[in-house]
Amino acid sequence: MELKIIKNLPRFFVYFTILVFVSCTPATYNVRDNFKPAENKVSKILIMPLDIELSELTAGGLKEPKADWTQAAKTHIMSALDKSMRAVNANIQSCDPSVETPEQARINQQLSKLHEVVGGTILIHKYIPAFNLPTKKDSFDWTLGGGVKTLKDLYDADYAMFIYIRDSYASGGRKALIVGAALLGVTVQGGAQRGFVSLVDLNTGDIVWFNRIARGHGDLRSEKPATETVTYLLKGCPL
Amino acid sequence: MIRFCRYLPVVVMLAFFLMSCATAPVSDVRPGQTPELESDEAGLWMHMDKIEKKLKHSDRIETDADLNQYVRDIVAKLKPELADDLRIYIVRTPHFNASMAPNGFMQLWTGALLRCENEAQLAYIIGHEIGHYQKRHSLQQWRVMRNTSSTLAFVSLATAVAGVGFVGDVASLVAVAGVFAYSRDQEREADQIGFDLMVKAGYDPLEAVKIWQQMEKEREAARDKKQFILFATHPKAEERIETLKTLAQQLTGTSGELDGFKTPYTAATATFRPQWLRDELRKRKYNASEVVLNNLLESGADPAQMCFFQGELHRLRAEEHDLKKSVDCYAKAIAHENTPAVAHRSMGLLQWKLGQKDDAVRCFKNYLEAAPDASDLDMIKAYIDELELENE
Repeated sequence: MELKIIKNLPRFFVYFTILVFVSCTPATYNVRDNFKPAENKVSKILIMPLDIELSELTAGGLKEPKADWTQAAKTHIMSALDKSMRAVNANIQSCDPSVETPEQARINQQLSKLHEVVGGTILIHKYIPAFNLPTKKDSFDWTLGGGVKTLKDLYDADYAMFIYIRDSYASGGRKALIVGAALLGVTVQGGAQRGFVSLVDLNTGDIVWFNRIARGHGDLRSEKPATETVTYLLKGCPL
Repeated sequence: MIRFCRYLPVVVMLAFFLMSCATAPVSDVRPGQTPELESDEAGLWMHMDKIEKKLKHSDRIETDADLNQYVRDIVAKLKPELADDLRIYIVRTPHFNASMAPNGFMQLWTGALLRCENEAQLAYIIGHEIGHYQKRHSLQQWRVMRNTSSTLAFVSLATAVAGVGFVGDVASLVAVAGVFAYSRDQEREADQIGFDLMVKAGYDPLEAVKIWQQMEKEREAARDKKQFILFATHPKAEERIETLKTLAQQLTGTSGELDGFKTPYTAATATFRPQWLRDELRKRKYNASEVVLNNLLESGADPAQMCFFQGELHRLRAEEHDLKKSVDCYAKAIAHENTPAVAHRSMGLLQWKLGQKDDAVRCFKNYLEAAPDASDLDMIKAYIDELELENE
């Protein structure tokens, strides 16, 4: 009997390291080589189940997942996405698990897992200069492959948007510790907003646009700052 | 050392302070209970819901409807009031383990199913995990970790300010050991619940003792080092054996007929055994696997199958005398009418290796006769041609 969160701690450190690295790079988004959206057409974008978790950073440095914050963040993000996408002549649609057969649900879950892996790979190999791949450093041609067609068939959408965000907020204790340590000249990490988003062409599986967020501010718990985060996240979206 | 002794009282005081800030007791979970959205427990559930969703669609899940129903029935027998709140996933992993998540999903690894001799042993394992759920151990463990680490952060800061940073370091060690001790106490509590549930459902509790004895044998065979107890999450097997034995002895004569329920267990799991045994051998921990195989054979598992896998084990380990032992085991397997067809093939490959070409050809031919639709039919035919050509 072990807590999964504790097992995942090393992964948190990896992400944290990535956060430190990527904070130094100026451009946050990438668009696929030679990508041009169809003109004069209302695009339909399928929003994949949001992979979002908000947590409270305790004084001891653990992240306590917060269900209420996460639920609120999901609502705010969906409404902000809806507004932003309408403004660029696109409609969004959410996944509806009730119309999916068990097999389709399985495939969609596998696609989400695949996106998590591909997205993580992009973060490492595209955003950290030291890890640039020789064959990919001058181009952006990542793909999820033709398997995305099940989504196209099921929802009749042009694109799918995958969003992954981990957002943490310092607890009262953590804030006190930060102040105390600062008096000693020691920096203690506070809450952070990090994640990535990608737009996938459902005809080909190609990732046509990818953006990441990695910063020490922002707030998804209430509507106004959440809209700001979404605007930040959608920077460079080619639609 | 003198410097350290001077601070010893401080360290002891800090340690007591850290222990006391651990956590307030929580009540048992009620059937159908879900946490308040604003609570820390809801956060844990949300996190585990996500992990469960991923696990559910994993290719490592054993999806066979009958096997899953069989396991669910055991849960219902042990704790009917919580049966609807618990979801069990049989995960194809060849190690002895099971785990319980706070939101009610239980992982049962096939390595544990392979090692159980009867339903009573499996019921004890499941009962133990139900105990974790009932007592909301994950939540308590999380709170202990959170509170201890947060307090420690301030202790470290304060001792650093006082210029005695090492006092903070020692306190950290004591506190971490305290968290592990807490985890061991939870395991003891779950052991007790598992025991009570199995007895109530009419299972023979001595079977629970046997599991730990078996695990001890495996550990000794593998020559694994004993874990350093201060930082172990589980109590030592010796301790668990003694406790369970005492509990079982206290019971003798007080309750009615107790049974291991071997027949239904064999019926439910026998068809999966070859696959689980292949997984077991893939671990390449042959000395420990040998104990598992011997135990299965002793406890009445199909001898043709067991002898075949013993042969496989010796062939794969390939240490001194292993090839000879392997031939003996395959021969024993083949002597049984219901021997797996692949036993002939394995024997053939081995005889070829040992230079016994005629025997090899005979074995390969037996294989093709026993498995005329084998996927490697052409390969084996080519082997036979090659061997016969060499013999001419």
